[in-house]
Amino acid sequence: MAEVPLALAHKFDQPSSTLLVHWFLPAAASLLLRFLLLSIVVLPGSPARRMVTVSSSSSSSLAMDHGQNHIHDQSANLYCQFNSDNPFLSMGVQQAFPPFTTPFGAVPSTNIPHMDWNPATMLDNLTFIEEKIRQVKDVIRTMVDNGGQLPCHLGEFAQQQQVVNTDLTCLIVQLISTAGSLLPSLKNSSFLSHPPAGHMDMANHVGSSPTLVPNVTTISEENNDEMYSPEDYEKLFKGLTDGAMEGGIEIDNVLVEEQDAKDGDEGNDAGMDGESLPPGSYELLQLEKDEILAPHTHFCSICGKGFKRDANLRMHMRGHGDEYKSPAALAKPPRDASAEQEPVKRYSCPFIGCKRNKLHKNFQPLKTILCVKNHYKRSHCEKSYTCSRCHTKKFSVMADLKTHQKHCGRDKWLCSCGTSFSRKDKLFAHVALFQGHTPALPPEEPKTSSDQIGDVGSHQEPAKLQGSTGSSFMWGASSGNDSAMDIKGFDGSSDEFLSTANFGSFNFSFGQADGFPGEPSGSSFSMLLSEHFQNSRKKGQN
Amino acid sequence: APSSSIDPHPPDLRQAVFRPASTIRIPSLSLPLHLSLLHTSTPVTCRAPPPPAPPVPTSPQSPPSPAHLPAPRPRLIHHPPPPPPPALGRTDRDHAAADLRARSILLLPCCSAAPLPDDRAGPPNRASRSPTTTPSSPSSPSSSSRPKPIPPPLGASSALPRAGGGRIAQRSAGAMSRDGQKLDPAAGAVGIGVLSLDLLGQVLDRLREPRDRKACRLVSRAFERAEAAHRRALRALRREPLPRLLRASPALERLDLSACASLDDASLAAAVAGGLAGLRSVCLARASGVGWRGLDALVAACPKLEAVDLSHCVGAGDREAAALAAAAGLRELRLDKCLAVTDMGLAKVAVGCPRLEKLSFKWCREISDIGIDLLAKKCRDLRSLDISYLEVSNESLRSISSLDKLEELAMVGCSCIDDEGLELLGKGSDSLQSVDVSRCDHVTSQGLASLIDGRNFLQKLHAADCLHEIGQRFLSKLATLKETLTVLKLDGLEVSDSLLQAIGECCNNLVEIGLSKCSGVTDEGISSVVAQCSNLRTIDLTCCSLITSNALDSIADNCKMLECLRLESCSLINEKGIKQIATCCPNLKEIDLTDCGVNDAALEHLAKCSELRILKLGLCSSISDKGIAFISSNCGKLVELDLYRCNSITDDGLAALANGCKKIKLLNLCYCNKITDSGLGHLGSLEELTNLELRCLVRITGIGISSIAIGCKSLIELDLKRCYSVDDAGLWTLARYALNLRQLTISYCQVTGLGLCHLLSSLRCLQDIKMVHLSWVSIEGFEMALRAACGRLKKLKMLSGLKSVLSPELIQMLQACGCRIRWVNKPLVYKD
Repeated sequence: MAEVPLALAHKFDQPSSTLLVHWFLPAAASLLLRFLLLSIVVLPGSPARRMVTVSSSSSSSLAMDHGQNHIHDQSANLYCQFNSDNPFLSMGVQQAFPPFTTPFGAVPSTNIPHMDWNPATMLDNLTFIEEKIRQVKDVIRTMVDNGGQLPCHLGEFAQQQQVVNTDLTCLIVQLISTAGSLLPSLKNSSFLSHPPAGHMDMANHVGSSPTLVPNVTTISEENNDEMYSPEDYEKLFKGLTDGAMEGGIEIDNVLVEEQDAKDGDEGNDAGMDGESLPPGSYELLQLEKDEILAPHTHFCSICGKGFKRDANLRMHMRGHGDEYKSPAALAKPPRDASAEQEPVKRYSCPFIGCKRNKLHKNFQPLKTILCVKNHYKRSHCEKSYTCSRCHTKKFSVMADLKTHQKHCGRDKWLCSCGTSFSRKDKLFAHVALFQGHTPALPPEEPKTSSDQIGDVGSHQEPAKLQGSTGSSFMWGASSGNDSAMDIKGFDGSSDEFLSTANFGSFNFSFGQADGFPGEPSGSSFSMLLSEHFQNSRKKGQN
Repeated sequence: APSSSIDPHPPDLRQAVFRPASTIRIPSLSLPLHLSLLHTSTPVTCRAPPPPAPPVPTSPQSPPSPAHLPAPRPRLIHHPPPPPPPALGRTDRDHAAADLRARSILLLPCCSAAPLPDDRAGPPNRASRSPTTTPSSPSSPSSSSRPKPIPPPLGASSALPRAGGGRIAQRSAGAMSRDGQKLDPAAGAVGIGVLSLDLLGQVLDRLREPRDRKACRLVSRAFERAEAAHRRALRALRREPLPRLLRASPALERLDLSACASLDDASLAAAVAGGLAGLRSVCLARASGVGWRGLDALVAACPKLEAVDLSHCVGAGDREAAALAAAAGLRELRLDKCLAVTDMGLAKVAVGCPRLEKLSFKWCREISDIGIDLLAKKCRDLRSLDISYLEVSNESLRSISSLDKLEELAMVGCSCIDDEGLELLGKGSDSLQSVDVSRCDHVTSQGLASLIDGRNFLQKLHAADCLHEIGQRFLSKLATLKETLTVLKLDGLEVSDSLLQAIGECCNNLVEIGLSKCSGVTDEGISSVVAQCSNLRTIDLTCCSLITSNALDSIADNCKMLECLRLESCSLINEKGIKQIATCCPNLKEIDLTDCGVNDAALEHLAKCSELRILKLGLCSSISDKGIAFISSNCGKLVELDLYRCNSITDDGLAALANGCKKIKLLNLCYCNKITDSGLGHLGSLEELTNLELRCLVRITGIGISSIAIGCKSLIELDLKRCYSVDDAGLWTLARYALNLRQLTISYCQVTGLGLCHLLSSLRCLQDIKMVHLSWVSIEGFEMALRAACGRLKKLKMLSGLKSVLSPELIQMLQACGCRIRWVNKPLVYKD
C-alpha cells in the first residue's frame, strides 16, 4: 500500500500526491493506480513488471479489506465519471465509438489503424494533463485549508470529494488515451487475422474490478488489433493479469454483485420508492453517458467478449479451458457477508438539468446502476426501438418495448374515439373523463338464435370462445404487413395460434431473451410466449 | 285470412269435444254477441240466445244455447266473408269482426280468454247476422238496448266478462245519453257507430277498467278503431298479430311483451318497424329470444322510450345493453339476471343513458366495482339502484355514495360488502331513504349504525338474515330515526324482550316490522313493540313459534291499522287471538296462518274482516267446509286462498267458496283429497282464477278438469300432478278452452299421447310443462307432442329415460328454440 503513493508521486512528480490519494477511498485509489500503471506499462521503457505487481497486489489486498462490491462500484465510478462538457471525456472514451469527434485530432482509433504517432499531439495532451492536475491541486488545497479549520458539513465535503474524483478520473483517462496513442507506433506487427473482440469500448467497464485489468488490455488490443501478434498479446495479457488473477475468486464475487444489483433493482427503477435518504447520508456517484450506454457489463478476461450477465460469461469461459469447467468455476459465487456493511450508494444522472442530476434543486438520486441506465435511456436518449406491430410506439429501453409488445395489438378495451387500452379500468377512467366517449364492444360474429341452446350450445362454447378471442386479437392488431401478422401466418390460422398462446403451457426460460435483440420474429414470438408465461405469473402473484 | 289460419279444427271435431264436455255454453261467445247487440240494438230474437247461455253449468238456461249454436256455425263456415251489406254501411263489419277475433285472442287475459275456437267464428257470425236479421234495429236508440244486455249479467252474475260487458253497455250508454243530448239526432238515428272517433275516444277515456275498454272494442268497428287509437297499454301474448296491433295503436305508451310466446328479433323488429312514437315503456322480461338486433330496432323505433325491463333474459349481454344504451331518454332500466352483462355493458348504458333514475342489475355477477364507479360518475340522476347479488366490494359503495339523488339502494346478498362500505355510504349524500342489506354476511349493526349516523331521512331499513346481534350504538342511532323510519326488517336475528322494547322505543313511526325467523320473540317482546308503534300495518312473525294469542291480543289492541299479519308456524295461537285481531283490525287484508293449527271457529272470527285479500291456511287440517263457508260468506274480496293439505275440505266447501269469493285468483287445493269433480265444477265459476294447484287430488277426473278449463278462462297456471284419474278428456278441454294457460303440470296423470299432442299443439301460450311419468304416453306421442309445441316451450321437465329415446334432433330443436329441459330421474311411486 505504501508503494502506491510513491508510484504516483514518481509518475506525476507532484508533492501533493499523497494528499490526493488520501481523498480517495482506498479501493478507488488502488484501481485508479492500476489503470495508471497499466497504461504506463505499455509505454516503452517503463518498469512494467514491477509496477504491475505492486498495483495488483495492492488491489487484491484491498479487495480483502473492503469487499468486492465496493471495489466494483467504486472502480466503475472512478473509471467513468466524466463531465460531459469536459473535453477529456470525448477524447478518452469516444475512441471506442466509431463516429467520434474529439478536440484532439490525433486521438488513436481503431478506425485509423496505421496512424503515426504525433509527438506534438502528445505534448498537447501532456500539457493539458498538467494544467488539469494543477486545478485539482488547487481545489484540494482549499479543501485542506477549510478542513483544517472547521469540520465541513458532511454533504459539502462529499460533493467536493466528488468533484475531485471526477477531475482525477478525467486525468487518468486522458493519460491512458495518451499512452494508448503510443501503442500503434510501438508495435508494428499486425495480426489482422485476429477477429475483433466484440463490441468493445471503455464505457463497457461499468464494472468489475477483475475485468478491469483485462479491459484495459482489450482497449489497447482493440486499438491496435492489427499490430499485435497473438503471442505478444498473450504475453502482454499474462503480464498484466498475473497479479490481478491471484485473487482468483474476485471475478466471481464481483460478478455476483453485479447480478444482485440488477435483481434488486427490478421494479423500482425510479429509485424513488423505498427510503428516501437525506442528502449526504449516502455516497453519491455519477456515471458518465458512455458508460451508461454500454451494452455489456461483463467481459471475458481472455478474449474480451462482452456479456450482460455473469452466468453467460461463465458459460462462455468454458471454452477457454478446462479450468473454467470445474463446478466451482461454474457455480454462482457466494455472496459476501461483508458487502452489507457498505455505505449506501446513490447515483446521479449525468444530464444537466435533469431532476436526477445532482445539481438539480429537487434532486432525487437513483438507487442502482440499472436505474441509472434505464433512466438515462428513457429520458435522455433517442427512442430507437419501434414496435413492429403498431409502428407508432417507440422506446429507448428494450424491456419497455417488450412490455409494450406484450399488450400491443391486444388492447381489447376500446373506446368509441378509437383509443384502445390494455386494461379495463384505464378505459373506464378515460370514458369517465371525456364526455361522449363510450366503450366500444369489439365486433364479433353475429349472434345467432342458437346462442341460447342448452346442452348443444355448451358443447360449442369453447370453440366459440376461442374464435372470439382470435377475432378480437385480429381486431386489435394493426392490419397490415407487420411482423405480428407474419407470426400469425406461420401458425396457419390466428385462432389456432392464439389457442396455443392462450391455453398451452410453455415453460420456456426467458432469461436469455434480452440477449438476442436482433431477431424481430423470434423475439416477438418469444414475447408472445413470455407474455402468457408472465401473465400467469402475475396472476399467481396477485 | 286470419280466421282460416287461426282455426285449425274442423267443425265436427269441435262438436266431438264439445258434447262430452256437457257444457254447451260459450261464455265468451256471449260477450261479443251482446255487445254487438248493444251497438245494433238488435231485437230480442237475436239478443235473447246469448244471455241464456251463461257459463254456469247448472244453469237451467243451458239447453237453449246448444239449440242455438249449431245454427250459426254452419253459416259461418259456409260464408266466411259474408257480403251482407244492410244498413249503416257495415260492409266491412266482417273484417272488423275478423280483426276482433284475432285481437281478442291476443289481448289481455280476460279478453283473450274469450277466443275459443267457436268463439272465433262467433263474432263475424253475429256481426254479419245481426244486421241481416235486424235490419230495422238501428232505429232504436242505444238507450233502448240498455235494458236488454243488462239483465243477463244481473241474472247470471257469475259471468264476469259479461258483467263487464254489461257495465260497458251501461256506462257507454250512460255516456251516450249524457252527451246524447247534443248528439241526439245522430245518435238516435244510427247508434253510436256514427259518432266520431273523437267522441268515442272520450267515451273510452271515461272507462277506467281495462276490461271495459276491451269490451268496448267489440262493439263496433269504429269503437274498435277508437279504442285502438286511444290505447295506451298493450300486452301481447302472441307474436304474429303484433305488427298489425302496433300499427293500429299509435298512441301506445306501454307495451308488455313479457308473455309473448316465441318472440324473437325478427318478429320484434317487424312489429316495431312502423315506429312507435309514443311508446314509453317496454317490458321484455323473460323474452329470451330477443337479442340486440331486436332491441336495436325497438330503440330506433321508439324515440320516447323511458323504461325498459329486460330482466331474466339470461342470455342478454353487453350487446343488448349497448342496444338499449342508444335510448338516450331512458329513465328506468331493469337488467336483472341478464347474466352476460359485464362492466362494458353497464358502461354503455351509463354513458348512453345519462338520465337514468332507476336501475336494477341484480344477479349480473360480471359487473364489478369499476363499472359501478363509472355508472356513478355518469348517471347523476339515479334515484333507485339495485346491486343485489353482485360481487362488488366497498369501493362500489364509495362510488355510489357520490350519487346525491339516490333514494333507494338494494344490495341483497353482497357478501363482499362490510361495515366499512356502509360507513363510506354513510358519508355520502343525505338523500338515501331506503337501504336493503339483507343477506350481506359481513354487515353488522356497527356498520348500520355508521350508515344511519346523521342520516335523518332514512325510511326503510332491510337487514334480514345478516345481523347476528344488535349493538347499543345501533340502537342509539336508530333512535335518531324515530320520526322517519317506517320499515324495519330484522329477519333471522336473535332478539330478546329488552331489545324489542328498545326497538319499539326507538321507532315510533314504524309501519312495517319484519321479525320472521327471529329466535326469542315472545309475547312480552311483541307487546312492548306494538305498544310503541301503533301505526304498524304489516307485522311479520313467521316462525316466531313462541308467541301465543296474548301477542295477538296486544297487536289487536295497539295496531288498529293492521293490514298484513304473517303468523306462519306460530302454532301456539288459537281462535281467541284471531278473534281479537279480526274484531280490532277491520283493515286486515292479508293473514298467513299456515301451520298454525287454527280451526273453523277462528275462521268464523276472521270472516269479520271483509277486506281480506290473502288468506293462507295451509296445513291447518282441522279446517272444514264450515270454516270455508264462514270465509266465503263475508270475504268477497279474497284474491288468494291457500288450503294446502286442508284435507277435511270437500266439494261443499268449494261450492261455498265459488259462491262467495268470486275474485279469487290464486287457489291452492293440493292434497285436499276429498275433492271430486263436482267441487271443481263449482270452481268453474271463478272466472278470474289464474293459478290453480290441484296436486294429488286423486278423485278428480277429466270431467272436473273440463269444467275448470271452460269456466276459469283466465287460468294461467295449473298443477295436476298426481291427479291419477285425470285423463285425455281433461286435456282435450284444456286444449280447447284454457288458451291462456302458460304453466301446466300433468305428471303422473293418466293421459295418452293423443291427448298430449292435442294439448301441446293447441295451447299457444303454454311455455312450461312438466310431464314426468306419463306412463300411458308412447315415445311417438312425446315426439309428436313436442314437435307440435317446439317453438313455444321454454321449460320442460321429463323423465331422464326419455333423453336417450327421443330423437336427438328433436331435443336439439327444442333447445335451439330456447327451451330448457330438465331431466329428472325418479321412481314411479303412487301416493295419496
